[in-house]
Amino acid sequence: MDLLVKNLKVKADNKKVLKGVNLEIKSGQVQALLGPNASGKSTLAHSILGNPRYKVICGKILFGKYDITNFTPEKRVKLGLSLAWQNPPTIKGIKLSQLLKKISYKEIEISEGKELLEREVNLGLSGGEKKISELIQILSLHPKLVIFDEIDSGLDIKKLEKVSKIIKKELAEKGVSILLITHLGQILNFLKPDLTNIMVDGKIVCKQKDFKKVLRTIKKYGYEKCKQRAVK
Amino acid sequence: MVMKNVNSAQLNRAFSQKVIYFQKDHYVEIKKENGIIIMPILEAFKKYKFIKEFFRRKPEEGYFIWVKKQIDFPLETCISICSTKVSQILTNLFIIEKGLKIKANTACMTEKDNLTGTHIAYGKIVLKENSSLEYSHIHKWGNNDEVSSDYEFILEESSRLSYSYSNLFSPKILNLKTKVISRNRSSSDLKINIKGINSKINLDDSVFLKGKDAQGIVRLRVVGRENTHIKGASRLIAEAAGKGHLDCQGLLTDKKSEISLIPELTCRDKNAQITHEASVGRISEQELTYLRTRGLNEKEAINLIVLGFLNL
Repeated sequence: MDLLVKNLKVKADNKKVLKGVNLEIKSGQVQALLGPNASGKSTLAHSILGNPRYKVICGKILFGKYDITNFTPEKRVKLGLSLAWQNPPTIKGIKLSQLLKKISYKEIEISEGKELLEREVNLGLSGGEKKISELIQILSLHPKLVIFDEIDSGLDIKKLEKVSKIIKKELAEKGVSILLITHLGQILNFLKPDLTNIMVDGKIVCKQKDFKKVLRTIKKYGYEKCKQRAVK
Repeated sequence: MVMKNVNSAQLNRAFSQKVIYFQKDHYVEIKKENGIIIMPILEAFKKYKFIKEFFRRKPEEGYFIWVKKQIDFPLETCISICSTKVSQILTNLFIIEKGLKIKANTACMTEKDNLTGTHIAYGKIVLKENSSLEYSHIHKWGNNDEVSSDYEFILEESSRLSYSYSNLFSPKILNLKTKVISRNRSSSDLKINIKGINSKINLDDSVFLKGKDAQGIVRLRVVGRENTHIKGASRLIAEAAGKGHLDCQGLLTDKKSEISLIPELTCRDKNAQITHEASVGRISEQELTYLRTRGLNEKEAINLIVLGFLNL
């Protein structure tokens, strides 16, 4: 199912964060979203999933034939949307295996992170372990579109390669749409997005098919220059 | 005995096979077992003079269980209300002889949630020297029931108690009093889990460390949901060189509920070590949203957070 975000303006804690975001992810596409800190990337991710902390003041979010702008988070998840959190909270007293039983209608085979199943959800996990835990949960949901909010941060290069392979094999190659929010370029080398979006100050300011060109521009001139040079 | 996610039918089934004392309203069934003296408390009161030391008043109903030999199965008792406006006033005495290691499960419950019953229970549990008891106490009541439970554990030298209380459904009013008297080298570990839904709940637990090297731990977890008011006083009193810890935590899931927890430490011996921790907080919006982004609705997410909290 296609995701279409139209002129989305969002407030968080009474502050305008998104200032008219337009984004379209076609079914089966892998896209990337890059941007400086506090540019609104995570706000966009949470708004798409319906986090009540973020108030939509203008615009629409469409998923397939549904206008989901006012849907509850759980209704969006039932339709096939999912989000791997950048900083997931702990759920004390609940093991990951217990959570998976609650959220998944079908068991999945886990190749990475089996040791996390008997640990409490996100309690005392390292940055990398939290990312693996997020990935396991996402796979259990059998989604149609996944937003990975900085899934690559906190992972060493070997783990990053493993995680990228799992995302590719279990999601991308099965036609699941993916939006990768990232600061680092390395995950893009593994997953090769069809389109790379740059977000600056609450707006997507450019879209580029060649992610390597985007990364080069950001490295050389920073995000502001990217806004001026790479837009086409 | 599994205590979590148990419904009434499961509870009945779980208790049906091995129940040695079963009371429905005022009707009593007793199953005799080798090595155990079991009878209605009134009969025991007439038969054994020493029972007067435990209860000043003549009891009306309830059980007397005296475990004299080691047994290899858990002792189970079940007291239920199945008719409207029944009032039970129970007096129970449970004695475990020296050196025995016993497991016991007790369920006090209503068959339906609209019976407007009253259940008042006074109980004394005596652990003789070197004995141990692993005791699970479950309550399941209806919205209009009134329940008062007052239990005292007497721990003789080197005895060990592990007690867990859990209510599956709370009554309209619940008064829960638990007292532990610990002699030399005895130890108690109390885990009290309270889920209040539209209830008024008063908790009062006290652990007296009366003997040298006695130990006591109280873990109190209370959850206030849907206009519930909970007051809890948890006391640890060291009268000898013992060790103890109180851990009281409360979780509120809505704006109309209130929890007030008071941990209290009293030390009368310079060599005693007693500590406490306490916290009460609202359910985290972030945790709630996180679980909702995993497809759980708000009620399911709250239930899971509460389950986790009670597991702590």
